[in-house]
Amino acid sequence: MITRQLRDFGIGALAAILIATCAFVAVRNRELIARQVELAQRAAATLARDGVVEPGVRAVIVGPAERSAKHRYLRHRKVFDGGSWRPLVAGNSRDDKLIYDAANHFDRSGAFAALIPDGDARAVAATPAGTDRIAIAIAPPAAPAPYPFLVMIGVLGLGIALAAAGALIGGRAARAGTFAGIAALAIPCVLWQSPIAATAIVLVAAGVALAQHAQLTDRIARGLSRHRTALGFLAPAAVSMAVLVAAPFAIGLILGFYDHHQGTWTFVGLSNFVEILSGGGRSLDDPLNFWFILGVTVLWTAANVLLHVTLGVVLALLLSRTWLRGRAVFRTLFILPWAIPNYITALIWKGMFVGEYGAVNSLLKSAGLDGVSWFSSWATAFSTNVITNTWLGFPFMMVVALGALESIPRELYEAAAVDGARPWQRFWHITLPHLRPALGPAVALGSIWTFNMFNVIYLVSAGEPGGTTNILVTDAYRWAFERGERYGMAAAEGTIIFLILLLWTVFGTRIVRRGDDA
Amino acid sequence: MKARRPNLAVVVGVHVALVAMVAVTLYPVLLVCKKAFEPGRQFALSASPVPRSVTLDHFHELFTTRGGNGELLFLRHAANSIVVALLTTIVGVVLSCTAAYALSRFRFPGRKAGLTMFLVVQMFPAVLLLIPLYVVLNRLGLLNSVAGLVLVYSTTAIPFCVWTLKGYFDSLPRELEEAARIDGASPWMIFRKIVLPLARPGIAVTALFSFMTAWNEFIMASTFMTDQNRYTLPVLIQSTVTEYSADWGLFAAGAIVTSIPVMIAFYVLQRFLVGGLTAGAVKG
Repeated sequence: MITRQLRDFGIGALAAILIATCAFVAVRNRELIARQVELAQRAAATLARDGVVEPGVRAVIVGPAERSAKHRYLRHRKVFDGGSWRPLVAGNSRDDKLIYDAANHFDRSGAFAALIPDGDARAVAATPAGTDRIAIAIAPPAAPAPYPFLVMIGVLGLGIALAAAGALIGGRAARAGTFAGIAALAIPCVLWQSPIAATAIVLVAAGVALAQHAQLTDRIARGLSRHRTALGFLAPAAVSMAVLVAAPFAIGLILGFYDHHQGTWTFVGLSNFVEILSGGGRSLDDPLNFWFILGVTVLWTAANVLLHVTLGVVLALLLSRTWLRGRAVFRTLFILPWAIPNYITALIWKGMFVGEYGAVNSLLKSAGLDGVSWFSSWATAFSTNVITNTWLGFPFMMVVALGALESIPRELYEAAAVDGARPWQRFWHITLPHLRPALGPAVALGSIWTFNMFNVIYLVSAGEPGGTTNILVTDAYRWAFERGERYGMAAAEGTIIFLILLLWTVFGTRIVRRGDDA
Repeated sequence: MKARRPNLAVVVGVHVALVAMVAVTLYPVLLVCKKAFEPGRQFALSASPVPRSVTLDHFHELFTTRGGNGELLFLRHAANSIVVALLTTIVGVVLSCTAAYALSRFRFPGRKAGLTMFLVVQMFPAVLLLIPLYVVLNRLGLLNSVAGLVLVYSTTAIPFCVWTLKGYFDSLPRELEEAARIDGASPWMIFRKIVLPLARPGIAVTALFSFMTAWNEFIMASTFMTDQNRYTLPVLIQSTVTEYSADWGLFAAGAIVTSIPVMIAFYVLQRFLVGGLTAGAVKG
């Protein structure tokens, strides 16, 4: 009884301590920043009034920016430091670069005080000090307050006592004890003036007490101990997936609600999603319009899967002729494109298409045709991508189809031949129904691979001309790495891509796989 | 076979069609082989796949180009590739083999959801995790580091290994394990002393596949490894043919040296690949 009570209390307390720690760190950092900024501000103001600055704070008077006589695009400043004027020189270890930047910032936007984001919790402030002069103060590094271990241990002890007391009385008092014990951990949060954390902890306490009331905790504990072998075996992969996949995935979802600009993140709500889904005010044929890219992506996926299946099935049908000579050799040669790393394939085809004298144009010319400037129009650039991807993708469908064809019993064809069925009737009524169950999943898989096929688009057409041949995944990548680090937009588009794939795997592949049900 | 032999025109037609298709399939490969041995930086001045003159200059250049610190760049990048792929494989196989066994043998609530999750994660496009991972690794100062890239690759290697190994464990007979259980062996002992030794071939195949995947990966490596010393081979090969300076001879030599080992492995392993992929897609 008491162990069960302590177990439930322990779980609740763990969550509560986690919340309290986050609250403590947030409150502590906020206070430290405010204190440091205030210190710098006060010192700058004191210096501007010719007062005596507190020890530890570095405060100087900076002169106006003057054009360099030698290099007209350079500006010098002088600093009154330690009783005399000297030039400000970057690289001089005494914070000269920082002071120079602060003076420039002051000239642009007036008096200010801010934290220096270098991890030392220093703050800088600038105020006017007479005509053309600026008082600049830098607060020294400061260590944040230490974690209040004693307080935490104290309230934890109080909580354990409350929970145990409840358990000893038993019945309804046990639940009350759990609630009171966990809620005791909200006390420090109240002291730190963090109402959100305090409320969250009380809610956790209520949740655990309610779960205890419904005997949920007992049932979960029983389930865990019954399956503890399985859970132990699962743990390494499960934990690493939580850290490596679930956490980044969740971060990606959250980043979609932020805008990233030169290292600072701003919460912008749904505006990234709105900008993407509304097309951002661009016309429908603009290559940055989401719906245009989605259209290209769908066309790309459909065209490739269709070509892969057609080519794969035709080749498999030819290869499955019983009288064919050298089948093994043909099969080995046909899967060569699958064996080559796909980034190499993409670069090879890029090389064959690029330029007036590329291999493809040479072939066209030797056939008496004109060369084509492949990457200057949408249709030809899109074709280069499709040709490349067809070349590298048909072997998979061929191998799947060959496997399915081999599993068709010969007797079926013989019986059909005896009954006088024509070749196309045999194909329609015997071959096709046997191909479908194998091809369905292969098409589902192939469609997702093609939808995600980053390398071919990125390396062959690279979106040319003018970004019109991008697909969703390359467009999201470009938001992050080629259009000014707009990670927020990229993450939002990633979320949308994920939702599209989810819809497709849940509903779309059901259509493709309909053959399975038969 | 008993099937009647069709007339000669059909036989000849089918053979001709297949040979023509083989020619189309092989043409780009032959062009690259030609380019690797033909002097010059241009990709192709003629459509013929036969080189006009033969030289080993491109290979020589590939193996002797030195970086800023005087180290041999190709060897450096090959070492990076090998280390990253090996570590990814080890992380993937070690972390996933117990989970694969549990998913194959034990019945517990959430098993189906777990299997689906491991499958769905493999269908994630690379960019979906690439962006948050880039932001996080940038914060942690793990860009341009082998450890960072291994972590990134593990996001796909672990689910892949779980699924493939689970498929292999499913195919092992259970009788030995049951006998051991009756004799009083603990689950961990059964796994270590009976299942793991039996599963060695399956583990080897899985390990080879995840090695090949890491070896062939381009876009993550190109995004996370921007310092030339940290390039892996795919990044090196792509960097020989950028828009502004393209040396297709060097590219062809690098492409051949890099892909031959994985192509051999692919041909040895391909029968496992088809079975595993479609089995993973069909079952739920």
